[in-house]
Amino acid sequence: MKLNLTVQPRFRLNFSPLVWILLTLMGIAFVVAMMRYVFGIGVISDLSYSYPWGFWISFDLFTGVAISSGGFLMAGTVYILRIKEFEPLLRPSVLTAFIGYVMVAIALLVDLGQPLRIWYMMIHWNGTSVLLEIGICVMLYLTVLAIEFAPVALEGFKLQKWAHLIHKFIMPFVILGVVLSTLHQSSLGSLLLIQPSKLHPLWWTPILPIMFFTSAISIGFAMIILESSLSSRYFQRGLETHLLAKLARAIPIVLVIYGLLKFSELAVAGDLGYLFTSGIMSILFWAEILIGVVTPIVWFSIKENRESANGLLTGAIIVLGGMILNRFNVSWFAVKHPDPMFYMPTFMSNVKYFPTLPEVAVSFGIFAAGILAFGLAAKYLPVFEDEHSAQAHAGD
Amino acid sequence: MTEIKHHAYLFDATRCIDCRACMVACSVENNIDMDKTRIWVAGLGVTGEYPDLQRGTMVYHCMHCDHPDCMSACPVGAYTKAEDGPVTYNPDLCIGCRYCMNACPFGVPHFDYDKGIIEGAFIDKCTFCPQRIYNGQEPACVETCPTDALEYGDREELIAKAHARIAEHPTRYIDHVYGEFENGGTSYLILSHVPFSELGLPNLPETPVNEVSEKVMEMTIPFALGWGAVLTAVTTGVALYDKNKEKSAADKKAETTK
Repeated sequence: MKLNLTVQPRFRLNFSPLVWILLTLMGIAFVVAMMRYVFGIGVISDLSYSYPWGFWISFDLFTGVAISSGGFLMAGTVYILRIKEFEPLLRPSVLTAFIGYVMVAIALLVDLGQPLRIWYMMIHWNGTSVLLEIGICVMLYLTVLAIEFAPVALEGFKLQKWAHLIHKFIMPFVILGVVLSTLHQSSLGSLLLIQPSKLHPLWWTPILPIMFFTSAISIGFAMIILESSLSSRYFQRGLETHLLAKLARAIPIVLVIYGLLKFSELAVAGDLGYLFTSGIMSILFWAEILIGVVTPIVWFSIKENRESANGLLTGAIIVLGGMILNRFNVSWFAVKHPDPMFYMPTFMSNVKYFPTLPEVAVSFGIFAAGILAFGLAAKYLPVFEDEHSAQAHAGD
Repeated sequence: MTEIKHHAYLFDATRCIDCRACMVACSVENNIDMDKTRIWVAGLGVTGEYPDLQRGTMVYHCMHCDHPDCMSACPVGAYTKAEDGPVTYNPDLCIGCRYCMNACPFGVPHFDYDKGIIEGAFIDKCTFCPQRIYNGQEPACVETCPTDALEYGDREELIAKAHARIAEHPTRYIDHVYGEFENGGTSYLILSHVPFSELGLPNLPETPVNEVSEKVMEMTIPFALGWGAVLTAVTTGVALYDKNKEKSAADKKAETTK
């Protein structure tokens, strides 16, 4: 399929309604963030002594990192396993990952109490801290992603020679990227290991890192399907259905492993009793399992769903819905902070947490910026196969 | 006063009269706003049926754990545990991530939600009054306590004292010193006449809360190196396999064209 982009003059900004909405969201987020920098986090958020982490961590960090896992999956598939047929999906997923991690970093700059000191993580190391590992991995992986994406940007600026040079030395970076991703995708789960007394036993398990890594793989595949489907609709571009169908086929396998791990762990720990007796927690758990694990296994086991554009998109949204609920459960809903009645004087602290509008606005603004960045990159850089296929194959 | 090897507090819930003088003393001594107090006293009300009425008061205070979870969690190492007890926080390193607040099972560290980046938003917690205890004085909260509900001394001695008090009044106290073993041992010990959960204290095992996460962290670097080696091997293997296949395909092609 040919794109009609070449007909339009390049670098002419096209302000469609969607772009206006995205820009508005970004503007609101910017104003709110400035307020936060001047007056403090408490002014715009509902975070408190009893709830030090809230919507920002669950959405921007936990969800943001998880949905960026497509980058290392595709890089590993194409470069390490040399399954070349997936090459058309490589660049969009690396781009998604790169933008995703930039979004995580920007969000952390709002969430941190001392954003100007974020680089302290590079020099002051406390080896027992899971957060340190995540910080270092994310910083390094952001660099790796920049290097992995650089050839695309360079090609876009007609610097083929440089693109070629980077392409030649890409292998060590790909391996480093996969190692770093494995580490911090799983370590996001390890973050909660220090809270056995706070996180509900349906979620707290010593194998949290393994659970997180397994689910990150399914999220990554679902995200590649989602982003290919949406961009094919928006840019009226052809959809790589035959490739996406293969990813869709892998998802049930990953999810079956995930489900088996989850339930056998609960059985071994003797926590099966909580499945039906913990009220709202049981409901959240079953919602997560049914939406994120059971439904997608059934959905993607049906051949028609895997091979139609709508079936793929629907399935991907179901997986993402359930798995994002999992991230919210683990990092927020299922975390019981010390009983506020005893611990927290009401004049110092909120006893309940519910994200405020400005808090959500920051996250949405950053998300909008990410979508806009993806759109711009997809439009002006050779991200999708249609445009660059000839050069990409020449590069190998 | 005898030499103190391991500084510790002993809090006796039966003696506390909810006067909150310790909160005031702490704020004055450490020059902190009253609404950011490092100690919080909570009257838990009167429970039971007449004539068996009970009232409980709890003084929430940094527990100065022997294996502090805040210290284990802090990415930049802003916390230190002194050999002789106190757990202290260094604002010069803090990046404001608030992971310590999440990690602490007692909800002790507090954060400046009302400060922007110009003033700087930091964590605040009990310092164990180093300016006093290393000069032979008691911490401010202990010195001011009118009923000796808060006491200060060497940890071993205080534990012995607590057990002696339980033995002396077996009907008054629950036969347990909270903090002797909880979370791997703490330097704030609690005696109570009501179950500790009613005082709002978490039910913690004797192993430190951070044990599992620290063990996982120990495995990180060996795992990273091993995984990197495996991936390198796979990469080379697949590349060689591909090359051979291409070569044999080319050979075949050459043969057929002959």
